Amino acid sequence: MEEPRIGVYVCWCGTNIAKMVDVEHVSKELEKLPDVIISRDYKYMCSDPGQDLIIKDIKENNLNRIVVSACSPRIHELTFHKAMEKAGLNPYLFEMANIREQDSWVHTDRKEATEKAKSLILGAINKVRWHEALEKRSVDINPDTLIIGGGIAGLTAALEIADAGKKVYLVEKTDKLGGHAANIDLTFPFMNSVQQMLNPKIEKVINHPNIELFLETRIDEAFGYVGNFETTIKKENEEIQLKFGNIIVATGLKTFDPGGIENYGYGKLPDVVTSSEFERMLKEGKIQTNAGNDPRHVAIIHCVGSRNSDFHEYCSRTCCMTALKYANQLRSALPEANIYEAYADMMAFGKGCEELYLATSRKNVTFLMFDQKDNLPKIRKADSKHNFEMLIEINDKLSGVTVDVPADLVILMVAQEAHENAKEVAHAVGVSMCGNAFYIEKHPKLDPVATTTDGVYVVGSCQAPKDIPDSVSQARAAAARILASISFGSVEVEVTTAVVNENLCCGCQTCINVCPYTAISYDEEKQVSVVNEILCKGCGTCGSTCPTGAIRSRHFTDQQILSQIEGLLSTVLELEEA
Amino acid sequence: MGKEEKPKLKLAIYWAAACGGCCVSVLDVHEKLLDVIAVADLVFWPIAIDIKYKDVEKMPDGYIDVTLFNGAIRNSENEYMARLLRLKTKILVAYGSCAHIGGIPGLANFSTREEIFKRVYEESESTVNPDKIRPQTEVEVEEGKLDLPEFFNDVMPLDEVVCVDYYLPGCPPQSERFFEVFTAIVNGLDLPPKKSVVGVTDKSQCDDCERKKTDNKLVKRFYRPHEIEDDGETCFLEQGVICLGPATRSGCGVRCIKGNAPCRGCYGPPPDVADPGAKMMSAIATMIDANDPEEIEEIIEQIDDPGGTFYRYSLPSAILRRTI
Repeated sequence: MEEPRIGVYVCWCGTNIAKMVDVEHVSKELEKLPDVIISRDYKYMCSDPGQDLIIKDIKENNLNRIVVSACSPRIHELTFHKAMEKAGLNPYLFEMANIREQDSWVHTDRKEATEKAKSLILGAINKVRWHEALEKRSVDINPDTLIIGGGIAGLTAALEIADAGKKVYLVEKTDKLGGHAANIDLTFPFMNSVQQMLNPKIEKVINHPNIELFLETRIDEAFGYVGNFETTIKKENEEIQLKFGNIIVATGLKTFDPGGIENYGYGKLPDVVTSSEFERMLKEGKIQTNAGNDPRHVAIIHCVGSRNSDFHEYCSRTCCMTALKYANQLRSALPEANIYEAYADMMAFGKGCEELYLATSRKNVTFLMFDQKDNLPKIRKADSKHNFEMLIEINDKLSGVTVDVPADLVILMVAQEAHENAKEVAHAVGVSMCGNAFYIEKHPKLDPVATTTDGVYVVGSCQAPKDIPDSVSQARAAAARILASISFGSVEVEVTTAVVNENLCCGCQTCINVCPYTAISYDEEKQVSVVNEILCKGCGTCGSTCPTGAIRSRHFTDQQILSQIEGLLSTVLELEEA
Repeated sequence: MGKEEKPKLKLAIYWAAACGGCCVSVLDVHEKLLDVIAVADLVFWPIAIDIKYKDVEKMPDGYIDVTLFNGAIRNSENEYMARLLRLKTKILVAYGSCAHIGGIPGLANFSTREEIFKRVYEESESTVNPDKIRPQTEVEVEEGKLDLPEFFNDVMPLDEVVCVDYYLPGCPPQSERFFEVFTAIVNGLDLPPKKSVVGVTDKSQCDDCERKKTDNKLVKRFYRPHEIEDDGETCFLEQGVICLGPATRSGCGVRCIKGNAPCRGCYGPPPDVADPGAKMMSAIATMIDANDPEEIEEIIEQIDDPGGTFYRYSLPSAILRRTI
């Protein structure tokens, strides 16, 4: 290995860092270290003059390793990588020490924060010594796209991509398109007909020359990597091989079965129905009790299975507004009926939703607030002396009074939950799931439709419960991402991958199943594990799993990490002596 | 006097904190010991010949050609002898697991000196010590003052005290390996670079193990070897028996595994592994076939004595130094 010639740059970040860390002192101290040729502090390292400083130093002093101590590498690592390249150095011969988010911003004692900055930088200096130059690689993109799920999100994405002239394979497990939206009569908050907007889309998808549609079809595990995936799909007894460059997962969700909530008597009391069952009544234009009568008292219970630690802690997002929509539809259909909304909290965010709440409250609808934690409403059958079917005992939180509400029909606003087979699909395409079995996006705010597997996108309700506009936005966002990548033609792949040292690998195969990207296979002939470096994302799981030490995670080798830890735990003085 | 082509090698064998098995392994070359003696003079070997420390002290520096030093460094006497023999020896070999990585005595590092003394000199069931007398480093006797070795707080491998030229691992090293290495030195063959581990291969046990291995290493239950009927042909790990084979260097001829006992790790880590115990724990963690935290906890509980299992031989050279 060449003698390290290290340049260290300590950023002030204006006053962000300099206020809490004595950057000048830190920079002077570090200059004393062996192999540190230059150590400087500067107001804004990320600015053009800051970057130029590095470039100039590299050229004039023949530096071959750079450490910048500034903000989080998530913000500016790429900036400095580019500066390194400009100076003719491989960008991986660089390490960033985060002395802002992990130091100046979170401490109040200047002396301690200054010491901590030194430790963090010492770790980075120790690590960068062992860094190796890594070469960037890129692969061509197959312009075809696989979309899993034919609901509103899948349909929208399919049309977006197909209309741009690119091929789409649309796979739907049922025998029809439209998903949950197809079962809905009107949308909240503006009461538009779903069928009027959905049916033309379905027609267009069926007849689109760029869309190949597979109904009643399941997908098998997808192999490959961004730009070059392949899988087998199964339709009845037929198996079809598909090749494609990107995947959109739009598998949606299902509704919660309220049978397990004893208080509500679903399945025992014939006039307690779920929101999906009521939606069907609305679509058929017939709101009737089980016995075929017009209901005179209708109660709508919110949060059935949602926002409740026994079932799902999350809010299912669409049910409050759907419940208000029902109140409006009921009022139109049954002008004389008593309508009750039993809610826990009214979730009315979004365009036109709070307005819908206000408008509904003026339509002679009784709102009762119950405590979902300890005091769920309790539905019982009414005695024969009453001329209504059921009584609902509700402890109204606002008045503090327990009331018995009469009801001929009770609508349970059931939660939305992930499909039972969410895990199979997740495994097939390599996406992660959160605790509620919804799929996890790459970044909750900044990258909401991509996943940690490049080329795989999640849109619509398979990521979390959503309304139609959000599902459509996500579908279009994913389509735009995919069209952009197809337009670019190739994609850069991770270079900080794992690599197997075949001279050490003993073939125990412990690594194979831990890889979340199916990047490792076993070479029967050589009897060693092999990493597909294009599939590998460099997560490091196999490297830490490998009991033999045969797998190295490039850029995060044991040597680099242990040296970094040693640096973190040492002081400038100790290193000087060494 | 016969005409000798070259002078005989001077060989020393010493035991520090050891069980004696390493010395016996030298005897285990059986009649080949005669070949050894034909080309080497044993100048120091406490188990077999009566040569005192003071005789070693009188030897000129570098007088001994090869010292096989077995045992860990537990007390000041071990350390003194390590330094003395280093001075007197051209090629110092850390012989066996204890000198190499700390070995079985190294498990004492899970306790401090004080904890060990309290147990041994006060609490153990067979101890009668009303005055709570502890080991002393000086004691007055009729003949005068005696200096006694000091018991250290830590057990150390040999290379924490002196520079080691080669490591010959094993508990004990396979006698064949000893003989091969010895023969190589005698014949003046090209020796590997200093600090090499010798008498081993680069790969780990699994490479030599003939049991059937697949990628299906999911375990619902861990067993101690006596709790399961081993089918004799499937990878131990796949049967739920903890085998340190993948994190252990090969060279022993996979003797334990051939005898249907899982590898316990005496040959030490493969070349790129700093801490075989930690490596093996990481690997085992991925084999647990559960996602529910409570179930995972239950499965982990089935691993009897994890410290002693994963660090049976390597604790003094591990990153982990004590119970945490």
